[in-house]
Amino acid sequence: MHTLPTSETQIADTVLAARAERTPLEISGGGTKRRLGRRVQAAATLSTDALRGITLYRPTELVISANSGTPLSEITQTLGEQGQELAFEPIDHRTVYGGEGAEPTIGGVIACNLSGPRRVNAGAARDHLLGVRAVNGRGEVIKNGGRVVKNVTGYDLCKLFAGSFGTLGILTEVTLKVRPKAERAATLVLFGLDEVAGQAAMAEALGSPFDVTGAAYLPATQASTLGVSALADAGTSATVIRLEGFADSVAYRTDALRGSYGPRAATTVLDDADGAAVWAGIRDVRPLAASSGSLWRVSTTPSEGPAVLARLRERSPVDAVLDWGGGLVWLAVEAGDDDGAAAVRDAVRPSGGHATLVRPAGGGPGEGEVFDPPPPVLAMLGDRIKRSFDPDRILNPGRMYAGV
Amino acid sequence: MIELPPPREDVLARRAQIAADLRGLIDKPEAVIDAADEMRAYETDGLTAYRQMPMLVVLPGSTEEVSRVMAYCHDNGIRVVARGAGTSLAGGALPLADSVVIGVSRLSRVLDIDFANRTATVQAGVTNMGITRAVEHEQYFYAPDPSSQIVCTIAGNIAMNSGGAHCLKYGVTTNNLMGVTLVLPDGQVVELGGKHLDAAGYDLLGLITGSEGGLGIVTEATVRILRSAEGARPALISFDSNEAAGACVDAIIGSGIIPVALEFMDKPAIHATEAFAKAGYPLDAEAMLIVEVEGSEAEIAALLDRIVAIAQAHDPRTIRVSQSDAESALIWKGRKAAFGAVGQIMPDYYCMDGTIPTGTLPEVLGRIGALSAAYGFQVANIFHAGDGNLHPLILYDANKPGELARAEEMGAEILKLCVDVGGCLTGEHGVGVEKRDLMPVQFNPTDLDQQRRLKSAFDPQWLLNPAKVFPLTDTPPAWDDPAPLNLPTHGGVDAHASH
Amino acid sequence: MQTNFTLAQLADQAMAESEKILRTCVHCGFCLATCPTYQILGDELDSPRGRIYQIKEMFENDRPAPETVVKHIDRCLSCLSCMTTCPSGVNYMHLVDHARVHIEETHQRALPDRILRELLARLIPNPRLFRLALLGAWLARPIARYLPGRLKGMVAMAPARLPGPSPIDRPQVIPAEGPRRRRVTLLNGCAQQVLDPGINEATVRLLTRHGVEVVVARGNGCCGAVTHHMGKEEPAHRAAKANIAAWSAEMVEHGGEGLDAIIINTSGCGTTVKDYGFMLRGEPEWADRAAKVSAITRDISEFMVELGLNPPVIATGQTVAYHSACSMQHGQQIRTEPKRLLQAVGFQVRYVPEGHLCCGSAGTYNLLQPELATELRDRKVGNIEKLKPDLIATGNIGCMTQIGSGTGIPIVHTAALLDWATGGPKPEALRDLSDPAQSGADPDRSMAA
Repeated sequence: MHTLPTSETQIADTVLAARAERTPLEISGGGTKRRLGRRVQAAATLSTDALRGITLYRPTELVISANSGTPLSEITQTLGEQGQELAFEPIDHRTVYGGEGAEPTIGGVIACNLSGPRRVNAGAARDHLLGVRAVNGRGEVIKNGGRVVKNVTGYDLCKLFAGSFGTLGILTEVTLKVRPKAERAATLVLFGLDEVAGQAAMAEALGSPFDVTGAAYLPATQASTLGVSALADAGTSATVIRLEGFADSVAYRTDALRGSYGPRAATTVLDDADGAAVWAGIRDVRPLAASSGSLWRVSTTPSEGPAVLARLRERSPVDAVLDWGGGLVWLAVEAGDDDGAAAVRDAVRPSGGHATLVRPAGGGPGEGEVFDPPPPVLAMLGDRIKRSFDPDRILNPGRMYAGV
Repeated sequence: MIELPPPREDVLARRAQIAADLRGLIDKPEAVIDAADEMRAYETDGLTAYRQMPMLVVLPGSTEEVSRVMAYCHDNGIRVVARGAGTSLAGGALPLADSVVIGVSRLSRVLDIDFANRTATVQAGVTNMGITRAVEHEQYFYAPDPSSQIVCTIAGNIAMNSGGAHCLKYGVTTNNLMGVTLVLPDGQVVELGGKHLDAAGYDLLGLITGSEGGLGIVTEATVRILRSAEGARPALISFDSNEAAGACVDAIIGSGIIPVALEFMDKPAIHATEAFAKAGYPLDAEAMLIVEVEGSEAEIAALLDRIVAIAQAHDPRTIRVSQSDAESALIWKGRKAAFGAVGQIMPDYYCMDGTIPTGTLPEVLGRIGALSAAYGFQVANIFHAGDGNLHPLILYDANKPGELARAEEMGAEILKLCVDVGGCLTGEHGVGVEKRDLMPVQFNPTDLDQQRRLKSAFDPQWLLNPAKVFPLTDTPPAWDDPAPLNLPTHGGVDAHASH
Repeated sequence: MQTNFTLAQLADQAMAESEKILRTCVHCGFCLATCPTYQILGDELDSPRGRIYQIKEMFENDRPAPETVVKHIDRCLSCLSCMTTCPSGVNYMHLVDHARVHIEETHQRALPDRILRELLARLIPNPRLFRLALLGAWLARPIARYLPGRLKGMVAMAPARLPGPSPIDRPQVIPAEGPRRRRVTLLNGCAQQVLDPGINEATVRLLTRHGVEVVVARGNGCCGAVTHHMGKEEPAHRAAKANIAAWSAEMVEHGGEGLDAIIINTSGCGTTVKDYGFMLRGEPEWADRAAKVSAITRDISEFMVELGLNPPVIATGQTVAYHSACSMQHGQQIRTEPKRLLQAVGFQVRYVPEGHLCCGSAGTYNLLQPELATELRDRKVGNIEKLKPDLIATGNIGCMTQIGSGTGIPIVHTAALLDWATGGPKPEALRDLSDPAQSGADPDRSMAA
């Protein structure tokens, strides 16, 4: 059964009915990332796809509200007309899931807390979420936060909803902080560094006073896949660093940063168009999209990115792209029975952080644990939080962890 | 006087035994304070209108000691109120008569500075400024900068999700916190987050930030530190009307510039702070903006040029661009000390902290002016204009009978006004005990019950700071036991995996 | 902050003053940040805000000082760092002074404590007795380790060498070199002239060299701070009056030749003398003269900035860690003057990190609260040594003794350094200091004439 409510009230009624019948619901939006997370155990689907529309936009207050089923593209376009954007640069999963689904919705982006390369500078999706309306598993409409940036009135449920994969409530409306789009974006490329030197160069950039908004490392084989001739022609690894802002300021900072590296690597600066292609490619993991094997996303201590890779290589061949200055490692692993889970998690553990199986070798969704299983006390807390929203486990059961 | 839950007589009856037991859990006997004369200093925080003597005060020296004290209190049904430096302006650290106050002020060590990963890990009693001091020799800083930053602890900052003047660009505490060591109400110690971004699972770090000491006590924190810009410089722009200043704010933001700070002060606020800071604020202006931008000298000059050009179109009274670091420091000195400085003109102030959509500023200031006239209290308005966080200071004299009650009444009117125009009750000070009873203005019972159930999830007995944030009710909301589900037959969901 | 005093209580002038101070405090807590004892102990009771609260309770309830409150007030250094930090303008100095008087009047201390305080109150202000006591202490050094607690510490503080009395400290008039530009009197004090008579000598040389006639007035002596800080009002006021009488006699309105300033070269004394006007406000026959004295009192550094310095006659450029005494930076709010003077004669001056924190000397504090004082000293010395200075300069004998007991880096009075640079003898403490390398001096030398 697939329901497509057109209002918050209808959603609440659907949940109430599902709860009365003890029938779990799978929650979806545009359906572009149904494969992200564990398989949901549900006979019925509830889609927010029909709950569309921007409900408030105040450019001078840097705020936008939209119903959760609003396509991300609609929001991007509306903001773009006023020279604004969502600074957290959410990934579009259609690249790694082969174009599955219609269009990503803003509700889906928030529910999965998706952030791209600018995460290192501007924060994650959760940092931009000012307010929510949602229907919890009790069929109640609840709101939290608001439309202002500074707000500490009551507990911050927005943070919980972001990244809860629809297991706590069905988002019906989200309010987001927006930022002016930069006038200019320059991408400084350092060629030919190995992973360790590349990570160090990224750390230097992020530790510089130049307000770097992206720092990623592409090994030679990956650098050539982005359709940018300057990278493809070089035939070496590319460490890419993005600087954004007013044109004169970007020019100054790019020069200063470039100069600070001295002669250790050949460098170039990409223009806005090439740069945009590079960062969109990194955001959507284009270099590893076509890889066989399983696709993993690792969040770790940035300086440890190369160490995680080194440990993993001892057990399995691996292709990788480093984003977030080394703190976000995308891995294409030649998987064993477990999609490489044991090898990946063992490699991450000493460095701190966690690993998510984004795309199992078989295409997924995975049967095993997709996210790192939490330690017992946190699992207990997670369970209690889930019950406080959704006592009967009606919403997306099992999507994050078994039982949640 | 604010209503507090009735003390538990059985707990109070065991007071001497509890003090003795706690001394057994703490290395330093002096760190358990039970003499009335000494506890008196802990009866209030930055909001002195509310006072309540605690049952006992404990100042643990380590996470382990906090954990032992919490476990003891949990096992013995004793309420706990956490305290940082006691600078809350919302009565967040107000004790209960039967409570043990756990102060984190002795947890004051910086544990790890990691420039390569841009993080600092500190014990929770380290001050906000203490973090910056620990990293500034490498030109780094910790971004959130509440006005009390020289003294407020990171524990308190996390509890209240503190902001500051510079969070327009850098965000508030929750945007700069990477991980914590958290002691749960039953004494269990958990680590949330770390040096990596976006921890797995539910965002517990985000939830406990701003939870006002109701979900656990933070004993260590890992925060993001940032490299300082090459330079920063403020400009002072004054106007003949609040409307002109408000329109100028809109125009600056609308032009695509995000200043690192954008502060607004009205005439009474200008006068009070000038008396302390002698920063050369324009005493004859109706409103003043402090706009700060950062970058290299050339970048600063270019940005300030743009801002000055925008300001010129809004009929400014004066425009003064800071010419030196000393001048910049002086300009900020007045703003940062603004609350204390009003002590120079009136003995007591009642500080509001609502947030409003920035576009409504002129309307809101007009309506506050009307309230000021109606109640007969002078009001000084200080406003984080870039983000809409408004701090009206209602000036009154607590020694005059009835003034406090009327100041509170007027404060409530102002906060309702903030909610009315689309804002909220509190932007950065927290609900505490002060705004507890106004929560239904912003939230309906369903919203509040959801939040209450979350508290129950962490603290089933409601022992931690129980009289704060939520209006007092007789019992916490009912806790539903899960009922069995009708699961589809295919697949292998183990929805009831044991925990 | 709200207070609860009865009208009868407020009829007392001192109480009325204190009530006014308490009303100014808004309990914001900023003072916690810069209070040395709170930094060490982390207990709000040992912070200004906590102490203000305890004092308020004590005064409002009009009761004898309880043991617990005495403990926390005793731990206060009276460094007044809190007053620099306070945005509301709370006069903590007058409040804590009042509390100390109240403690002294209403609280019976344990006998050993009483004896010790009485001893200090009688010995230190009297140079002759103090010299004898130090001699005794010096003799006791070999057996120091067998002595109980605080006594051991006191003996350890006794200097290894005790110079003889200086002729400069006798009543006299020392004429200016060249045309007389100013006429001043010098407080020649008590403990300082015993511990380091060279400071007064250097001060007089510095002044006369710059055209200043210096009067050492008959009858001037201890400023009263030692007893004042113990809450012993009577001897403190007696000392103040003796000085006021001695100096007033030199003023034109009292038939003297006139005084442009009263020069103090121990900042602890300066804070007190500048407060004589307040101290004696309730005594009609003294109030005016006291206020006049306070009005013309200057630290030697303030006065030399006014006067301008001769250019240096020796090779300078040594790195000087300038330690600002609490009584200098907080008590008198003198911050930049000493640094500017030292720079003007060519020294490379560095401020000490955490410079707002007390070194633990604080008058008799290092003798009465040795553990806290030592912890503060070690922290101070650590901060100074980070600068790797050639020498330390400061304007207060207490700090010199305290810091000097914890480091091998020579420590010299600012006036002695200025004297040396402009033509005086090299200070004794610097005899092993070699000439500076030919590095450039500080650019900020605009003070030099």
